[in-house]
Amino acid sequence: MSNTHLIQRPLPEVVDVLVIGAGASGSVAVSELAQNGFSVACLEQGDWTPATEFAGDKPEWELVKQKKWHPNPNVRQGPSDYPINTDESDVNPLLYNGVGGSTILYAAHWCRMMPSDFQTRTLDDVGDDWPFTYEDLQPFYEEMERTMGVSGLGGDPAYPDEPSFPLPPLPLGKVGLKAAAGMDKLGWHWWPGANSIASKEIGHRPACLRYGACLTGCPAGAKASTDLTHWPDALEAGAHLVTGARVREITVDDKGLASGAVYIDRDGVEHTQKARIVVLAANGVGTPRLMLLSKSEQHPNGLANSTDLVGRRLMMHPYGAAVGTYEDELESWLGPAGQILHSMEFYETDKSRGFVRGAKWNLMPSGGPLGMRSGYGGRPVDESFGVNFHKNVKRVLGRSFEWGVIAEDLPDESNRVILDPELTDSDGIPAPKLLYKSSENTEKLIKWHVARAVEAHEAAGATSIETTELMRDCGWHLLGTAKMGNDPKTSVVNQWGAAHDCPNLIIIDGSVFATSSGMNPTATIMANALRSIRHLVENRATQPMSGE
Amino acid sequence: MLTDEQRAVYSRLADVLIPSAEGMPSASEADVPTKWINDALGYRPDLVPAFLQALEIGADGEAEAAVVRINSTDSVAFDALGVLTSGSYFLNPAVKELIGYPGQVPSPAYDDTATYIDMLAAVVERGPIFRPTVT
Repeated sequence: MSNTHLIQRPLPEVVDVLVIGAGASGSVAVSELAQNGFSVACLEQGDWTPATEFAGDKPEWELVKQKKWHPNPNVRQGPSDYPINTDESDVNPLLYNGVGGSTILYAAHWCRMMPSDFQTRTLDDVGDDWPFTYEDLQPFYEEMERTMGVSGLGGDPAYPDEPSFPLPPLPLGKVGLKAAAGMDKLGWHWWPGANSIASKEIGHRPACLRYGACLTGCPAGAKASTDLTHWPDALEAGAHLVTGARVREITVDDKGLASGAVYIDRDGVEHTQKARIVVLAANGVGTPRLMLLSKSEQHPNGLANSTDLVGRRLMMHPYGAAVGTYEDELESWLGPAGQILHSMEFYETDKSRGFVRGAKWNLMPSGGPLGMRSGYGGRPVDESFGVNFHKNVKRVLGRSFEWGVIAEDLPDESNRVILDPELTDSDGIPAPKLLYKSSENTEKLIKWHVARAVEAHEAAGATSIETTELMRDCGWHLLGTAKMGNDPKTSVVNQWGAAHDCPNLIIIDGSVFATSSGMNPTATIMANALRSIRHLVENRATQPMSGE
Repeated sequence: MLTDEQRAVYSRLADVLIPSAEGMPSASEADVPTKWINDALGYRPDLVPAFLQALEIGADGEAEAAVVRINSTDSVAFDALGVLTSGSYFLNPAVKELIGYPGQVPSPAYDDTATYIDMLAAVVERGPIFRPTVT
């Protein structure tokens, strides 16, 4: 099935809803709104990414993945990308601009948050409680798992409802069995990982071919990116999609309500699209950037920013890892990549560890022979080359795997997205700048968890183990920069994503997370987006709109 | 495309990085300087300037000393030289066969639940590990 759909219809002068961003959350919104009779248009600064362009099934894969398919837009520097100043950030943000957004390049780990993640203030006296509970979001998780065709095994005792999944789990293979044996020796929790990757044909998507190239786009089309799972039906239902549309401002009417957006096409021509409601779905960096860019008489500090919270509380999930190497041949280049296993053994707070909150662990394969062979400069030549080049390949290739640690970082108002005073994108629009420092709690958390991951490898029989306690290129999860909450004085949006200061501006991406959890967030982003948009659909009669 | 002179310099440097050892061919023996580097440079045009800079720094003198000189004077150039040489080497199907790597070939997913379901029983027996919602 092709993942590009060029249905072009004339845009109405005014649409019911304008969605900005065609990624994980924007796709949910457009699909849901179009199928419920709304006129809806989506502005996406990127384009379709045909699956034939993905390199995961080609010999050059490991060479090109370090540039063209790199998740860091500052490295990739594609025509759809905007620069992000990271001079004052411990972590680089990772994202993709295009139809499907970052689901094009994500690892497809499908992780519901835990009940405690919604109540960190109540339970651990840190962060903030979300304005709803796990049980409120649970039916939307279930619905998204069906829509995305998630593969996994039911009965996981880490969750209250032991969720089942529409497809059976992907194979553990030799890597998963080796790691599981180690966890069993220690009596630690493990479970086959849930992934939004088809283990069997579902809908138009074929089964996974285990290229292990999930992070550079799935050449088989088995991974659930929203260009496959949502856009075909949304376009059939009448949605409008404008690609190459880089938004520079959300406009407001004389009441201060959102009235549309000004965008620039790839020929440099400026357009205005009017709308009764605006939905922001541009990720935890792009969304606050746009809000800060949208200053007006009614919103002098940026759109819906009377609290000065827009852009603040940025959370990016610092990531630690332990890579173990084994004597056995494990075929560790095979997918999914993807999480083969996960472990929640140390997810919940235990204050005796010297920190609060925890982390999900995920088991991932190690890829091909080139792997992470970069950054040699300055290290002794014979460390990586000469006879050791061959010895290292024989020792590591097919024989190593990673326990990764998704560390929950807590909200801190000094971690933020601001507008760079000098740097601009290719259209002259001010670029975002990140101010982000990993906290002492996070550093203690990662150090402790990585030490346990080393023990897990030792128990599984690893012959050598290498650790990383803060990977700089790890900022996949861009969260918290337009916080949701019940109090307009301490939050930007309410529990349905409607901005307190601008009730027809609905924010549905990871920006609204009150806390970050220690989970990959796509499942929660999509479930929350569905919950917010369904509320909008059900309450359309009383929803404030521009032009009324 | 490299000039003959650049290719000659590169051939000497590449064999320092990847010599004949451990039952594996050197870079030259694997046709890296004559064939595969051309493909690699095409795949990574962004690395071409730094790669050519490495060749310029390493043009003179004994090859091993030249590689050390590149590494100590220009880490970006050395990174480009290292990535492109390694990447070129692994493009060669004969090399892949020798290291036992089939490349990114389809390997259809299958259900192997039966191989670990008994192991999981112990995980289940240990019971729930979550904190429930406080109401």
